[in-house]
Amino acid sequence: MNSKINNYLNSHTNSSPLAVFRIGFGLMMLYSIFRFWYKGWIDTLYIEPQFHFKYYGFEWVRDLGDYTYLIFIVCIVSSIFITIGFKYRLSIIFFFLSFTYIELIDKTTYLNHYYFISSLSFLMIFLPANAYFSVDNIFRKISYKQIPKWTIDCIKLLLSIVYFYSGLAKINSDWLLNAMPLKLWLPSKYDLPLIGETFMQQNWVHHFMSWGGMFYDLLIPFLLLYKKTRIIGFILVVFFHLFTGVLFPIGMFPYIMIIGSLVFFDSSVHQKIIDIIKKIIRPIRKNIKLNNKIIKENLILRNKKFVLSIVSLFFIIQLFLPFRYLLYPSELFWSEEGYRFSWRVMLVEKIGYTTFKIKDQKTGSYFYVNNEDFLTPFQEKQMSFQPDFILEYAHYLGDYYTSKGYLNVAVYADSYVSLNGRSNQRFVNEKVDLYKEKESFKYKTWIIPIDDEIKGF
Amino acid sequence: MLKKIFSFLFIICLFISSCDPKSTDSSPEIWEQKSEMLTNWVDNFISPSYGNLLAKLDVLQQSGNTFSASVNQQNLENLRSSFVDAYLSWQYVEMFNIGPAEESYFNSRMNVFPTTVARIELNVENGNTDFNNTNNLPAQGFPALDYLLYGIEDSDDLIVLKYNTEQNYLSYLTEVIDQMLQNTYPIVEEWGTYRNTFVNSVENTATSSVNKMTNDFIYYYEKGFRANKFGIPAGVFSGSALPEKVEGYYNKNISKQLALEAFQAITTFYNGNGGVSLSQYIDDVATEGYSDLSTDVLVQFDITEELINGLDNNFYNQILTDKIKFLETYDAIQQGTILLKTDMLSVLQIATDYVDADGD
Repeated sequence: MNSKINNYLNSHTNSSPLAVFRIGFGLMMLYSIFRFWYKGWIDTLYIEPQFHFKYYGFEWVRDLGDYTYLIFIVCIVSSIFITIGFKYRLSIIFFFLSFTYIELIDKTTYLNHYYFISSLSFLMIFLPANAYFSVDNIFRKISYKQIPKWTIDCIKLLLSIVYFYSGLAKINSDWLLNAMPLKLWLPSKYDLPLIGETFMQQNWVHHFMSWGGMFYDLLIPFLLLYKKTRIIGFILVVFFHLFTGVLFPIGMFPYIMIIGSLVFFDSSVHQKIIDIIKKIIRPIRKNIKLNNKIIKENLILRNKKFVLSIVSLFFIIQLFLPFRYLLYPSELFWSEEGYRFSWRVMLVEKIGYTTFKIKDQKTGSYFYVNNEDFLTPFQEKQMSFQPDFILEYAHYLGDYYTSKGYLNVAVYADSYVSLNGRSNQRFVNEKVDLYKEKESFKYKTWIIPIDDEIKGF
Repeated sequence: MLKKIFSFLFIICLFISSCDPKSTDSSPEIWEQKSEMLTNWVDNFISPSYGNLLAKLDVLQQSGNTFSASVNQQNLENLRSSFVDAYLSWQYVEMFNIGPAEESYFNSRMNVFPTTVARIELNVENGNTDFNNTNNLPAQGFPALDYLLYGIEDSDDLIVLKYNTEQNYLSYLTEVIDQMLQNTYPIVEEWGTYRNTFVNSVENTATSSVNKMTNDFIYYYEKGFRANKFGIPAGVFSGSALPEKVEGYYNKNISKQLALEAFQAITTFYNGNGGVSLSQYIDDVATEGYSDLSTDVLVQFDITEELINGLDNNFYNQILTDKIKFLETYDAIQQGTILLKTDMLSVLQIATDYVDADGD
């Protein structure tokens, strides 16, 4: 067994897939960040709000006012450097740090695909993605034909986890038996040409797409891994992602996944891609003297033990973190305890309406807060159905009014949530002073349990 | 091989059993139906309401002119009654903050209350008021008229005397009325051309008519109706009651009437008054869990109307004498807000016009 593992860890494979992956990753990130900037979201999501919702333990991460743009510039520059493979290790570290910092500023904007980018870029710090076809090769005058096989496989593993876990999450009674929330979402796409008023309205289509989506997510890693089914798998990847990209406002995610899935292909495909890129950049390459470059066979990682233990730890976390919800007695979709960082995508249609009562505990006098005085509409929307947001905001309000000279401040939430087609239900115990409740990883007893059961993962 | 076939069949069976045969597919003519709804909104609500407002403002202007020509108690009363009529007709218009009205800040020019008395007095003194100045928004429209017709002196005799002796007040009164007509004319006119754009904007985007109007309706219910007419004067957002912030404060007898009229506008708009509107739209697209929603809303509306009916004609008095009763009414309105902002939004899957970010 041990020797098998050792053999595997010492085996090498062609370095071109990782080089292509690096280039694809860099370009996609570059485009994503420009798109984000162009849409004005840096301002509206990170600078404008007077208050940010923080991840537990990362309260110290702040927006830098107008200097927040600088973090995005770091992201852009490092993306360019990653693409061309210049100072790769340093660039990917800077990318990981700047991108993750941005995400940590406000959890209102949490998306699984942002978490995916953070995870992936962390992993890429430890991969020799500049071993081949990079500017680093020119400066170091060395380039490698072969890299350790596991350095490509671990990207495949991460992608497989993303797909498989999001497939597992779809095995639940709402998704499979009630076709929720697709039954709510798809009919609202009545304005799509051809399919909008026909297919999107059919009951069987909602069920078919729910089941199809589940099987797709569960099976796609295997279809891509086996050579015989790889082409079919990739066609499915392209179709599925483009289709969901048309249906839902999911931004860059479909394209990132399509480009990412190329990594499953053999090196011959990637060599062809590199040849095409070479043709495109020929005018630039002409001016670079490529002589004196040594082409070596196998790249041997320095600090191999250290790198391997970090990567192993990373994957152990990836494998177990999504199951942490089992430690909570509450209904996952309702209380969302252990919901994030678990590849649970498109699973819930949740709308909340939450207002806050500030009460003087001694005199009993109270008043309600106008949420729009403190939150952006987007923040209010997200806050209204997520308990950790509600608690954090309650504390913010408590602190705010205490600092304004109000006495004996207690904060109560009047909160109603509608989940996956169920009519609204009171969400937070209105008798609990949230200002006294502390945020922790513990089960939040002040969430009123949902009046229903959702079976499954 | 056999195993594979069996497991495949098993999955197919599971899939088929998951499709509920009872749930019927919604009709495929959604596009036409929405277009019908928009047409109903324009032709049976928006256009007639504006038309009525304009007619009532015309009468108001005439009464104003008569009053200017000869200031006396009878003409004052005549003017006051035209004012009340116009104010009531306004209650059918305020929720349509869309298209031309939205562009010209119509609502802010017509009904920001409480009015700022100090600003009115300043304008009266200085003359030449620029009604486009944002500081003058609370010094014009219906709330300003409310003050000018009932509040500038303690008794009717004194009010008549004031208009007889101080020309400045009379000019300001006329200017405010003229300004209200000037605000309204272009909107009525522009709706003539905007109508086509409005009726054809059926797609599900943040800026389509269907979605904007539904969002505006909810916004009006929550802010214009719930907060402005009830919540703020009751002190819901301030702790202590602010009864002087009721609508029609100086009139002292009309706040309930205005609220009831506004509520009538809300319920008939929701119902569609014989045509397609939100209640029908909800029924058409409602999934199982929401099958009672459209009637739940109506039941809540009925409860609310009954509670409003039980209040004092003057909300100012109601708040001072029995605030609890007033707050109970507010709570009923709030229950309606919950239904509209959670269940209805979930059923209708309205693209919001204020959230711009990716989802996943």
